[in-house]
Amino acid sequence: MIVEYFRPKDIKETLDLIKSPEIKTLIMGGGTSIDRYANEPFAVVDLQDLGLNSIKAKGKTLEIGATVSLQALFEHPDIEPDLKVSIRMERALNLRQVATVAGTLIASGGRSPFSTVMLALDASIALEPGDENIALGDLLLFREEKLETRLVTRISIPLNAQLAYEYIARTPADVPIVCAAVARWPSGRTRVTLGGTGGAPVLAMDGPDGGGEEISAADAYSRAGDEWASSDYRQEMAQLLVKRCLAKLSN
Amino acid sequence: MNIKLTINGESHEVEIKPGDTLLKTLRGLGYYGVKHGCETGECGACTVLIDSKPVNACLFSSAQAVGHSAVTIESVGEHPEQGWKRSPGLHPIQDAFVESGAIQCGYCTPAMVLAAKSLLDSNPNPSDDEIREVFSGILCRCTGYKKPVQAVLRTAAAARGEEIDPTDGMIPASPEWLGGDGDPSSGLEEPLTGIETGEVIAPTRVMPKIQVTPETEAWQKVGKPEKKVDAVKLVQGKPAFAADFDRRGLLYAKVLHSPLAHAKIKSIDKSKAESLPGVAAVLTWQDIPRVVYSTAGQSDPIPGPLDSFSLDNKVRFVGDRVAFVAAESEEIAIQALDLIDVKYDPLESILDPSDALKPGAPILHDEPEYVNFAESDPARNLAAEIRIDIGDVEVGFSDADHIFEQEYEVPKVQQAHIEPHVSVTYWDEDDRLVIFTSTQVPFHARRQLAPVLGLPIKRIRVIKPRIGGGFGGKQEVLSEDVAAHLTIATGRPVIYEYTREEEFIAARSRHPMRIRMKTGVKSDGTITANGMYALSDTGAYGSHALTVTGNTGHKAMALYVGDGEYRQSPNIQFHADIVYTNHPPSGAYRGYGVPQGFWAVERHMEKIANQLGIDPIEFRMKNSLREGELQPFSTAWSEGREPSPETIETCGLDECVQQGRAAIGWDQKHGDQDWHLIPGKPHLRKGIGVALVMQGTAIPYLDMGGASIKMNDDASFNLLVGATDLGTGSDTVLAQMAAEILGVKVEDIIIYSSDTDFTPFDKGAYASSTTYISGAAVIKAAEEAAKRIQVRAANMFNEEAESPTTNAEDVRLADSKAIAPDGRTIPLADIGLETLHHKDQEQIMGTGSFVSPVAPPPFAAQFAEVTVDIETGQVVVDKLVMAVDSGVIVNPITASGQVEGGMTQALGYAVSEEMVYDSDGKARETNLQDYHIFQAHEMPDLTTIFVETFEPSHPFGVKAVAEIPIDGVAPAVGNAVFDAVGVNVDANPITPEKVWRELKNKR
Repeated sequence: MIVEYFRPKDIKETLDLIKSPEIKTLIMGGGTSIDRYANEPFAVVDLQDLGLNSIKAKGKTLEIGATVSLQALFEHPDIEPDLKVSIRMERALNLRQVATVAGTLIASGGRSPFSTVMLALDASIALEPGDENIALGDLLLFREEKLETRLVTRISIPLNAQLAYEYIARTPADVPIVCAAVARWPSGRTRVTLGGTGGAPVLAMDGPDGGGEEISAADAYSRAGDEWASSDYRQEMAQLLVKRCLAKLSN
Repeated sequence: MNIKLTINGESHEVEIKPGDTLLKTLRGLGYYGVKHGCETGECGACTVLIDSKPVNACLFSSAQAVGHSAVTIESVGEHPEQGWKRSPGLHPIQDAFVESGAIQCGYCTPAMVLAAKSLLDSNPNPSDDEIREVFSGILCRCTGYKKPVQAVLRTAAAARGEEIDPTDGMIPASPEWLGGDGDPSSGLEEPLTGIETGEVIAPTRVMPKIQVTPETEAWQKVGKPEKKVDAVKLVQGKPAFAADFDRRGLLYAKVLHSPLAHAKIKSIDKSKAESLPGVAAVLTWQDIPRVVYSTAGQSDPIPGPLDSFSLDNKVRFVGDRVAFVAAESEEIAIQALDLIDVKYDPLESILDPSDALKPGAPILHDEPEYVNFAESDPARNLAAEIRIDIGDVEVGFSDADHIFEQEYEVPKVQQAHIEPHVSVTYWDEDDRLVIFTSTQVPFHARRQLAPVLGLPIKRIRVIKPRIGGGFGGKQEVLSEDVAAHLTIATGRPVIYEYTREEEFIAARSRHPMRIRMKTGVKSDGTITANGMYALSDTGAYGSHALTVTGNTGHKAMALYVGDGEYRQSPNIQFHADIVYTNHPPSGAYRGYGVPQGFWAVERHMEKIANQLGIDPIEFRMKNSLREGELQPFSTAWSEGREPSPETIETCGLDECVQQGRAAIGWDQKHGDQDWHLIPGKPHLRKGIGVALVMQGTAIPYLDMGGASIKMNDDASFNLLVGATDLGTGSDTVLAQMAAEILGVKVEDIIIYSSDTDFTPFDKGAYASSTTYISGAAVIKAAEEAAKRIQVRAANMFNEEAESPTTNAEDVRLADSKAIAPDGRTIPLADIGLETLHHKDQEQIMGTGSFVSPVAPPPFAAQFAEVTVDIETGQVVVDKLVMAVDSGVIVNPITASGQVEGGMTQALGYAVSEEMVYDSDGKARETNLQDYHIFQAHEMPDLTTIFVETFEPSHPFGVKAVAEIPIDGVAPAVGNAVFDAVGVNVDANPITPEKVWRELKNKR
C-alpha cells in the first residue's frame, strides 16, 4: 500500500527520492498501473511537476516527454495513423487521459498494442541520471535492472519511418490475441514486432532492408501459445499480419 | 497528510492517507455520485472531470488531484422543484438522458453525463462516433449504449436550435413499415430532415417501431413512453445505492478466499489478524453456527439442494470462503487477511464436468447436513437430474427420413453488473437486524438468512435501495450473510462490498453446458422427434442447478414441436445431469438456462435446414409452436413443482419473422452470393443469420407479487410494491399501470420498492415476471382504490341539488378527475380532501396480489449480420435486429432499452465472453479487461421492433420482455458465420481461432 506521496519539483529531487534506502519508492506517471492494494508498504513519486509533458519535433525525431499522456500523444498531428490506432487500442479514453507514455511502456506486457508499435519504431528511452539513451527493446527485457533508481525523462521516435499495425481480437476494441507492427525507414531499414502474448512484445526482425519479414515473424512466434491462443494459430497469424502490414506500407 | 482539493469550484481541506484514491476521498466527502465498479479503471463508473477531462477516480490519487479542478455530478443540474428556492433545473444533458430512456440502472449514468458534458463543452456538434469514443471508457451493462448516444445527439441538436424528434407520442405502425434493407421507411436510424433548413440533422429518434394492438388505443398511460420514475435522482447521482448509505461507526468487511480448488481446512490461526490494530472481528467456521442452506434466492421450498454454509471446514473452489474480517478501514481489513494462517489438506479436484459422475470421482459434498432435493445425489456429485419425455422420441426417430446428431458447448459467463454485490448491516434501535442490500430478492433473502443468522424472520428487515444492475447475479444471497455475521459479532454496522475480482472468482455465473442434440426429420422438413441431453456444470454448489437447466429444455426444446400430426403429439426428450465440480458456482443469469438451450437448438436447426436444402426460416416456421397449441413442456415439468397444462394464447412469431427479415434485408442478402463479397477486400465475407426464440413469463402457480396503494390529499398516491426494480424500469411500468386505472399522471404515483417491513411481499425480480405478476397485483390494488373513489365521487355528484343520480360504477376516472356520465367533473384532489378531512373520513386505499396459472411465452426473431475474415477467423458483428412479441408494451422506451441491453450482453456471449480456468482451477478472467464486455465505440447497429399481441391472461395484455433478447443473438451470429464462410463453430464464443480452425479443416 502507498504510505508516502511525494511530488518533487525537479529531476535531482526525484532521483534522490527514488534512491531512498528506507522504503521502496515507485515512480508514478499517471498512476494507472500502480497496485494500490499490495500489502507491502511503498512510497510514490508523482512526476507531474517536472515539466516532462511536452512533445517536440526535432528534425526527424519526435521527442515525447515521459509524462505526456497517451491522449496527448494520440491528438498530436505529427504521429503516424497506425500509432494512433495502437494508442486507441491500448486504453479507453478515460485511462488515456491519465496514463503516461513512459508509464505505459514500462508497465506494459506482451499484449500491449502501444508497446508493440513503439518497439517497431525503435523508440529510444532517455534515462536520468546520466542522460543515457537506451532502446526500448533493451529496456523491456531488463526493466527492473535498468530502471532501478533511474528515471525515464523522454521517449524519442522517428518521424521519417512509415508504420503499419494490424491485430486480431475477439471484438474490435478487445486486447489483441496477436498483433504485428512493421516500421520502415527511407533507408530501407525494416523492423517487425509482434505482440499478443508474454511479458513483452518481441522484435522479430530488424534488417537494413526489406525481405524475410514474414518468415521472421513465423519464427519469432513459433512457440507463442498460451491460455488465449495456440502456438500454431499465433505463428500463422503473425506471418499473415506482417504480410498485411507490408501490403499497407506498399500502398 | 493534509491536502487542499478543489471540487466543483469549492476548496476543501482534507486529511487523507497517501494512498487514498480520489474515489475514496470524494465519497468520504459525500460526493456519492462517484461510483465504485472496479479497482483497475476499466468500468469508468467512478468518472469525474479533472481539468474538464474525464478521468477514473479509482486510479487517480487524491494527492495527484491537488492543484487541479475536480468536477463531480453533484455540480451538474438539480431537481427543478426546490420549494421556494428558484432552481435552474437539470442540465440539458440530464434532461436528454431522462427523456431518451438513456438511464436503466443508473449506476454509470453520472459518469456518462460528465463525459458527455466534457465533450459538448469542447465540441457542440459531435458525431455519433465522437460520442461513442467519449463513452468508450465507461462500461454500461444495461443499455447497449444506443440511448445514451442518442441523448447526447439530442442535447447537441437542441442546443443548435434544431427540432428533435419527440418522445411523447406513440408511433403506431402497421405492416406497411415492412421494407427491405436500405429502405428509409424500414430503418430506425435514418437521418431526419431539418425542419427549416432542409439539411440532414442528427438521428434523434428514440422510439422503437411498434405494431400496436387495437385494445391499447384508448389508454392514456399504458403504452406510452413515460419517463422513468427514478430517472431524475439517478441522473443527478443521488446516494440511492446500497454503498451510498453511510452509518456512524461503519466497519469494512473483507473475505479470505481459498487459493485451492478442493481442500480440507486443517487449521486456521487468526491470532495475528485479531491483534492487528483496527481489526474488530475475525470469523472462521469455528466461530459461527453450522447451518446448511442454499444461496439461491427462490421461493420456499427452495427447488434445489441445501449444500452451503456461511463458512465451512472445507473449500470447494478457488475463491471459496475461508474467513471474514471486519476492520476500521478497508486497508486494515486487507492487511488482516494476510495475517490469517490457514493450513489446508489438498483434495483431488474435479475440473471437467464429464469426470464428475465417474465411479471413484472425488466427492465434493460429503457433509452430513446436506439436504437433498428431488433426484440430487451428493454421493455421485449430482446436484440435480432431469428426465423429461414427451411422446416417444424413439418412435419419432423411426418415422424420420434423416437423423441429425451433433454436440454443442456453451461457456461459463458472468453477469458483470457494474455495481458489485454490496450489503450494509446494522442493529436498529429495536435490536432488529437491518440489511441494506443490492438484491433482486429481498423477501427471499430475509427468509433464507433467518436460520443462518439465528434470528427469527421478524427480527430481520431487508431494504432494497436502487440496484446497479443484477441480471440474475443478485438473485443470490451472497454478501448479506458476511456483513450480518460481522454485525452480530461486533454489534457495529458493517459494509461488505465485492471487488471486481471477487465478482469473477466468488460470485455466480451462467451454467456452462455440453449439449447433445438428436433430431429426426422427414425429407419435407417435418421434425418427427427432437432430443437433447445437457451436462450442466453447477460448480461447487447447487444453487439454481435444477431450475436453470430445467429451463434449458422447458423453453428451448418447446419451440419446435414438428408439423402435421406431430403438432398434436410431439416427440420431445430432454434429459440433463447437473453435476458438481470444483469450479466457482453457477447460478441465475438473465435467460436462466434458455440461452444455453437455444445456442444448441438454433445452430442445429440451421444445419438441418441447410443439409435438407430448405430455406432456414421456412423450415423453422413449419415446425414452430403456434397459437392455440399446448406448450409441450407444461404437462411435464414446472421448476420442480406440479406441472399444469398451458395453451399458447398469443404467438406473434410469424409477424416477428416478417418484420425482422424486412428490417435486416434478409430477402436481398440471404442467398445472394454477390452480397457476401466485399469489393476490394477479398479476405472478407459477409453473412446473415437468424434464430427464433421463446421465453416464459413468470413461474405459474408460484410467483406472487403484492401491492398496496393509498390516496393522499392532493390525489397523489403512494404505491408500495415488493417488486424489485434492478434497473429495468419496472417501477415505472408499475406506476403507469396504476396511473391508467386511477386516471392520474404517472408523476402522481409515488412508488416505493422495496422494504420487507413496509412493502407487500413479492418474490423478487426474476423469471421476467415483474410487469406481468407484480403489474397485475398493482392493477388489483389500484382498482380497489378506484372503486372507493368512484363511490365517493358518486356521493359528491349526488349531493348537488337537481342533479341526476349518478351510479358509482358509471363514474370514469381520467385526467385527474372523476367524470360523471353527464359530463360533470370533480377534481380527484377534492375527493382526497373530502375523504381525509371533510366528511365520512376514510383512507382510500387498495391492496392486491397476483399469482398466475400460466406463463405466457414471448416470442422473437433475432437476426445478425456479420463480416468474417477468412484468413484470420475474426468475426465482426455489423448489425443485430430483434422483432419481438412481448404482448402489449407498457413503455416502448424502457422496453426497447431492455432489448438493446439484452442483445448487447448476448453479443458478448456470441463472440467474446467466457470464463476459463487452468488445471488448478484458477480463473483466467479476474478483471474487465480480460473479461471483455462490449464498449460503446465497438457496437454494431441495433434495431428493435415490437410486434404486439394481447395476452388475455393479463388485464393489460402484457408478456415478458426482459430475458428473451439474450436468447437468440449468439446462434444468429453463429448462423451468420456459417452463411458467410460455410463453417460451423459449435462452441461459443465464436473466437477467431475457432473459426480459423474450422476453415482450415474445411480446406
